[in-house]
Amino acid sequence: MTMWLPLLGLILGVSLGLLSDIQIPQIYSNYLSIAVLAALDTLFGGIRAHLQQIYDDKVFISGFFFNIALAAGLAFLGVHLGVDLYLAAVFAFGVRLFQNIAVIRRVLLSKWSERSKVSETKVQE
Amino acid sequence: MMRMAKKMSKDKKRGNYLLYSLVFLVLGFIFAFSYRTLGKDNSESAQSPTFQQEEQYRGELIAQKERNKELADEIQSKQVEIHKFEKSFSENEDNHSFLVNEAKDLRLLLGVIPAAGSGVRVTLMDGDYDPVEQNPNDYIVHESHVLRVVNELKISGAQGIAINGQRISSNSYIKCTGPVIKIDGRTFPAPFVIEAIGDSEVLSSSLNLSGGVIDGLVYENIVVTMEPMRDIRLPALRDES
Repeated sequence: MTMWLPLLGLILGVSLGLLSDIQIPQIYSNYLSIAVLAALDTLFGGIRAHLQQIYDDKVFISGFFFNIALAAGLAFLGVHLGVDLYLAAVFAFGVRLFQNIAVIRRVLLSKWSERSKVSETKVQE
Repeated sequence: MMRMAKKMSKDKKRGNYLLYSLVFLVLGFIFAFSYRTLGKDNSESAQSPTFQQEEQYRGELIAQKERNKELADEIQSKQVEIHKFEKSFSENEDNHSFLVNEAKDLRLLLGVIPAAGSGVRVTLMDGDYDPVEQNPNDYIVHESHVLRVVNELKISGAQGIAINGQRISSNSYIKCTGPVIKIDGRTFPAPFVIEAIGDSEVLSSSLNLSGGVIDGLVYENIVVTMEPMRDIRLPALRDES
């Protein structure tokens, strides 16, 4: 039953986000996009770590919230300094996202080929 | 001891699931929220709301003006129709010719139909002056000058008056707005051509009275030209604005 708790959280979050009637000004939309990127990055990082068997709960969960806060804070600082620091965050998270996805793909590919090899050897027997 | 460790790990796992659900809740919320706010922003409010409102008001104003113009045209055509009808009526019944003539005169005075006939044309132009040394106010045509001419023409029995092609009725107003004047809400610059239909001899002699209107205008440095005209055509009154 506890397995379904994260899914329930996801559904709850999505419905909250869709139903809530909060309007944020256009200026802060950058922060939101940064937060989205950070969340995606951490998520894929977690999947990659899991596949590489170096996964750690604390790292994942702390990284999730810390990355979001850090990215938003960086964008905030950038707006107040007059430097488009949020571009740096977008760049960094984008690159890492692609790297993570590439690693996941490679790991999955190698696993799949291993499995097919095993099945082939089984067939040969 | 082993059992304790197992239980602890189970507790830990449950705690992890709770944390995961928290993570996914935040994730889902951020995704849905950004989808709702940003995805909509791009399509709808690419232009600022004030601009959109201004554009809307402008469109409404244009539509309203066009409608006014249509209605004014309609009124004019209807007046011409009525006039024609009355003409045919007068042909039929001579007794009513007097009333019809009076109606015609009144209509000329109101300016609702185009008028044609003999009369005078008075042109008021700004006097020549040196803007460095002289005060331009002493040399340009003011609305009071136009008013004086119009009043004199009215007094001497002009049936219809128009300034720069704008028909003057008994309800018309002439207003000074800087170097130009406003007649019934329309702006006209100098020179002002005042055309009046009536007995051209009476009109010109009353304007030319010594110490009268034209003398006064010339004294105030305005270039006045007056000519009797055989055929003057005045447009009908249009006040669509």
